Amino acid sequence: MLFPMSRNPEEPVYNRIEEARTSLGLTRQDLADKVGVHYQTIGYLEREEYSPSLVLALRIAKALNQEVSELFSQTPFKKGK
Amino acid sequence: MSKKNKIYWFEGVTEKGVKSLLTDENSKYRWLRSQRNRRILVSVMTLGFVLVAMGSYWPTLKTNMNLSDGTAVVIYSVSAIFVIFAVLIGYLLLRISVRGIADAPNELLDERQIKIRDTSFRYAYYALGYLTAALLILMIYAPELKLFEPEGNDGSYLIISMLFACSSLPSMVLAWRERDI
Repeated sequence: MLFPMSRNPEEPVYNRIEEARTSLGLTRQDLADKVGVHYQTIGYLEREEYSPSLVLALRIAKALNQEVSELFSQTPFKKGK
Repeated sequence: MSKKNKIYWFEGVTEKGVKSLLTDENSKYRWLRSQRNRRILVSVMTLGFVLVAMGSYWPTLKTNMNLSDGTAVVIYSVSAIFVIFAVLIGYLLLRISVRGIADAPNELLDERQIKIRDTSFRYAYYALGYLTAALLILMIYAPELKLFEPEGNDGSYLIISMLFACSSLPSMVLAWRERDI
């Protein structure tokens, strides 16, 4: 393909950002404003199409009152946990 | 009191301009942001570059069409103004369609946007290399094109088209590749 579609070819990083965000009643725009990124970046993160830097992961965890290890994992999260 | 609007001369953007594009303040441009419409715009821009480059063949076209000097001047002038104006409008729409990300400085973008901008420049650089090679081959195998010589076909329109392409390629790659902008 001439210009391959933008996808994250790296090892996936699973996350529970959407679950944590909705439990706090925040919109993507609210969370984006809190951590200083564009709201579409939150969408990419929630769809696991983009893996955040450590700094952004820490900022997101702080904004959602969670530990980084509770939000991000290299293995899929079990549902309801 | 509003903060002073910072101008980024090297990038050719302003802080307010980029911030306005990054938010959804300008809802009238939302139709441009679908991937389908962005790809149509990229295709139209490519056609525009080809039309600009065709200016190099004008003397041959004029001779083949047996145009009088007066008619030729009118057709040439109107076509040149229309094509260049259309390409410039296309360039502006292209920048809007990708929220100015391709031209924005780091400090106005987040880390994902910086990453996709840098990737678009990488692909644009490759594309420019291929375009330059194609231009070189054209020059070798189309000797009737005489670069910068006033007599006969003037290949400088190919260079002008290349300059348009240089300034637009990163935005074109970004517009083509990204699903959501």
